Amino acid sequence: MKIKFFLAAFLVATALSLGLMANASSGGGKDAAKDSSAPTVSAEQSAALNESMHVEGEKRFRSNCGRCHAAPPKFPPRMMTTIVRHMRVRATITDQDMRLILRYMTE
Amino acid sequence: MCSNVRWPRKVAQAGLLGLFIIISLTVHAQDDGITADGFKAVPILTGSTAYFTRVTAGQYQDAPSVSPILLLPVGDKWLVEAKGSYSDTFSKNAQGDYHGTISYGMAYGQIDYIANRYMTFVAGRFTTPFNIYGERLAPNWIRALQTGPLTSPVTSGSALGGMMRGGFPGTDSLNVTYALYFSANNTHHLLATDRSTGGRLGFFLPHQRLEVGASFQQVLQADRPHSSGVFLEWQPNRAPLTIRSEYVRSSGTKGSAYWIESVYRLSQISALRRLELVGRGEQFFAASNLSAATVKKLGALGKDTNEGDFGLNYYLRSDVRASASYGRQFVLGRDANLWVVGMTYRFVMPMLPQGGAR
Repeated sequence: MKIKFFLAAFLVATALSLGLMANASSGGGKDAAKDSSAPTVSAEQSAALNESMHVEGEKRFRSNCGRCHAAPPKFPPRMMTTIVRHMRVRATITDQDMRLILRYMTE
Repeated sequence: MCSNVRWPRKVAQAGLLGLFIIISLTVHAQDDGITADGFKAVPILTGSTAYFTRVTAGQYQDAPSVSPILLLPVGDKWLVEAKGSYSDTFSKNAQGDYHGTISYGMAYGQIDYIANRYMTFVAGRFTTPFNIYGERLAPNWIRALQTGPLTSPVTSGSALGGMMRGGFPGTDSLNVTYALYFSANNTHHLLATDRSTGGRLGFFLPHQRLEVGASFQQVLQADRPHSSGVFLEWQPNRAPLTIRSEYVRSSGTKGSAYWIESVYRLSQISALRRLELVGRGEQFFAASNLSAATVKKLGALGKDTNEGDFGLNYYLRSDVRASASYGRQFVLGRDANLWVVGMTYRFVMPMLPQGGAR
């Protein structure tokens, strides 16, 4: 019985890992394609991008962090980096959300 | 004969270890590090202190407590985290004098390795990833009501072993989260864990701010009960309201239970914007066909229980909260009033000078 559980856990872990790795690889490819074709951005475009990321970061912060607790104050950037890493693990926040939240909380 | 029987288990263990190493090495190149904007993580001491007075069926208890958490980042991918707890509970003894009982323990002490953007490996003692209360809502500065839900004792709350977990966007409007773990048996009186395995799968719709998921746990010792559960958390966009719920069912002697909780922040009224109203209803159903001896051994888990709680939380600051709640517990032959009043303070401090500098 114990052996069955080990083997079952092994198979599930393998299947999940392969699936995620395939997904990760395809995601990385998209990112690379985006980077290679990215044109030079003007100051206006850069400001608009920053504003967009700020809005998106706030949205992600409210939907992820606000689900469990009241909004904390903004801590210094190096502290915030540790806190967000901790919460990434504890609350299984996605990498993309973590980056946007960290950016928003350190602006 | 014995070695012949044991070798597949060793092969499986070696396979899991090999899988860990291979995946770590394979995905290393895909990751560009998690430190955004060039900030280097700094060690932090955080946690909470609390002082609560509880009156349970007429019995007073005063309990100051502290729960420190040490966060020690190493490089861009590692995090060592440990949470301890210490409390001194004062209550009246038979002579009518107040007597303090000290309790302490370690909630978790774990090493996290962020292998890539989709996967984190955890080793050590950690909170069992079953539904949402134990991992996310249990700290006293987070929980909306200080009385724990009736679902908590049904499953093993802590694990000692390894875990694989993470989250990734399935589509633009759906995040998928998962956790798989294995725990060894530990009989140390402060760090006891069951030999068990299980996991959790969650789906989060960020636009609707809705999360649903399911959990499973199989105990691999004693009478080998398994538990399954589902959970839901929803924050409507149009109101400062949070609705949470969990359901747990155990195949063993621990029965089943559910709770539904709503938290409403009065943020639309400027004078009351720091105030939260909380309500929770819950039921516990004891396992059927329990013998009288088993019922006595199980204590609270041996009898059907209904409970309703209502509470107020007032945020003096974002990190200081005053709380009060009243609950009524209905148990066969022993109904009880549950009063709780007190305060929590959440602290965060860097462990190095210049913690805020780059």
